[in-house]
This record gives sequence, C-alpha cells and structure tokens, in this order.
Amino acid sequence: MVSVPSPTHGAHSATAVEEPPLPVKLVIAGGFGVGKTTAVGAISEIRPLTTEALITEVAAGVDDLTHTPGKTTTTVAMDFGVITIDPKLKLYLFGTPGQDRFGFMWDDVVEGALGGLVIVDTRRLDDCYAAVDYFEHKDIPFAVAINAFDGEVQHDLDEVRWALDISEHVPLIVFDARETGSVRDALLVVLDVALSRAQSAAAPA
Amino acid sequence: MVAGEPVPHDAAAHEAAAHEAAGHEAEDDARAAPEPPEPAVRASAVRPFLLTAGRVSGSGAAPPLPVETQIVATPDGLSALRSLTFERRDIVAACRRPQSVAELAARLHLHLNVVRVLAEDLCAAGYLAVHVPNAGTVHDISVLRRVIDGLRAVPDSRGSLRDSG
Repeated sequence: MVSVPSPTHGAHSATAVEEPPLPVKLVIAGGFGVGKTTAVGAISEIRPLTTEALITEVAAGVDDLTHTPGKTTTTVAMDFGVITIDPKLKLYLFGTPGQDRFGFMWDDVVEGALGGLVIVDTRRLDDCYAAVDYFEHKDIPFAVAINAFDGEVQHDLDEVRWALDISEHVPLIVFDARETGSVRDALLVVLDVALSRAQSAAAPA
Repeated sequence: MVAGEPVPHDAAAHEAAAHEAAGHEAEDDARAAPEPPEPAVRASAVRPFLLTAGRVSGSGAAPPLPVETQIVATPDGLSALRSLTFERRDIVAACRRPQSVAELAARLHLHLNVVRVLAEDLCAAGYLAVHVPNAGTVHDISVLRRVIDGLRAVPDSRGSLRDSG
C-alpha cells in the first residue's frame, strides 16, 4: 500500500516528490551491554542501523583523557531502528551510548525526543546513574526498565528504586529486551508518562 | 522495484558492515563475557570534514539539524544528479524517498555532521527539501495518542527484519 505509485503520477513519476512522514523519536539509554541494541532490534521493523552520535564528555575523576581540560566532544557509535506508526508518522528509536565514568550530554540525540527508556542491569546499577540523572535534569519523560536476563531479577524493585534514587513518579518496570512484546510494553509505559504530562500541561490547573 | 531506486553504492557490503559493527553490542546477552570498552567510532580526523571544506554543523546561528529530520530530493535535485559528484550525488540519489539524517548517515557511511552540512548546502541549492521537525510535537496530545495506538498494534513477536527501509 505504501509504495504503490498512484496512476496519476504517470509520466511525471520521475519528478514526483514523496511527502515525508512526521518523525518522532524515543531514546533508549543505559550502560554498555545492558541491552539497548537488543531492545531496538527486538521492536524495529528494520535491522538496526549504526551511525555516530556526538556526545560531550565532561571528564570526571581520574582518567587517561583528563589531561584534556574541560569538555571534549567524542563520536560514539549509536544504533537506531524505526517503527512505521502509519504512513504519515514514523517512530525512531535511538540507543544512546554511555559509559559510567563520564558525565554525558546527549543533547544532539535527545533534543525533541518524546521520552526515554533507561535500561538497567541490576548487577551493574552504577552504569545507569548517568542516564537517570540526565533525563531528570532535562525534564524529559522517562521510565526505568530492569532487563531481566532469563527472567531473573536479583533485587526487588523497591531496593532498586532506593539504590538508584528514582523519584516515586518515575515508573520502574521489569522487561525482557529480547522480546518484541516486552519492549513494546516498556515503550508504552514511557509514552504514558509523556501523554499524561502533555495532558496536565494542556489542562488548566 | 523501480529502475533507479536509490541504492547507495556497494549497499549490500555497507549494510553487512553496519550489521557487523552493530553486533558488538548485540552480544548484550552474553553477560558472563568480559566487557570490551564501548566501541568508539573515531572516523578519520581528516577526511570527513574535507567533504565540507572544514565547516561543521551548528557552528552558525542555526542549531544542528535533529537526527530525525526528514530529507527528500526535489525534482531539481533529481534532474541535477548527473552534474553532482561523490557524496552530494549519493545523498540526493538516496533521498528519492524521504530519509532521516540518521538513516542517510548510516546508509552512506558518512559522519552525521557531514550529512548535516551537505544536506544544508544541497537544500540551499534547491536540490533537497529539508523538513525540520516541529519542536511542539513533543507536547502534541494527538501525536502521542497516534504513537501509542500504533505501538499497541505491534505484535508480540516480529518476523525477520528487513535490511533497510
């Protein structure tokens, strides 16, 4: 349906210009190896593509790179996928790279995102602090999702919420990054946060 | 498939390479394995910005194009294809159908910011139409509802993935 040229294109089909869809995006964040690319691949309708994202590193603590003073901009691999919502609306999913030793600014990717999903591996909670901080600081709707490898979660949710210092209003869920339905439901949680925020902004108090 | 479908040169090999690269983190599930550092893609320091005569995106008054910005070739751009060379030609050819900045960069294996700069040039020349997303979309309740409804329609499991869109 989408790509069938209409008969009216006729002889001019070579010069017909397709109206682009409205693009929206969600960001999937978390430490390295936590399941970002797996999650993007589980729900994307195309094989995840890789491009570079520019991130600004704020060097923190002792590191090889700290001889460079202040901020540096680094190019990091970023995987992304696509879901066609309808012919006029396309949802992009960007897996943002992250390392726990740095403060990161993903503004290049996150600006204009509907929301974010922070993926957590309970064995390496530290790795997701940067992402949680970032979304809170930027006031972007987000949810935290524990990736349950083989259905195992090693801590209870309250402990994780406490350890990560996640506010009560931020949803904390358990999901499986390999399962399409599970990733879909996790993203729906994020969108629910975004929707209720938009609704309360629109409604007079 | 229409003759002249935008096929970036050597597309199959590129896709394969991209997939290979993506495979690094696709090993997510092998949790017992020792973690290599996050693979940083450090493109050649010289080449990317030779293509843009040293210009970088977002250095002027305008902010850089959002990664999801849709770009589509104009009729003028398609008729000018023969006169364009290298990356400029590849970009216009790939934009016969609308593409995001991120998709273009991935498919043509160009640095994100090189695509931004060249796309702005080609837009100024009238060869591309650049549709910058409206920032208000984030708070647009009807758009959010459409996304939610569309996402709900995604089945519990997907078949095999297409290689490109």
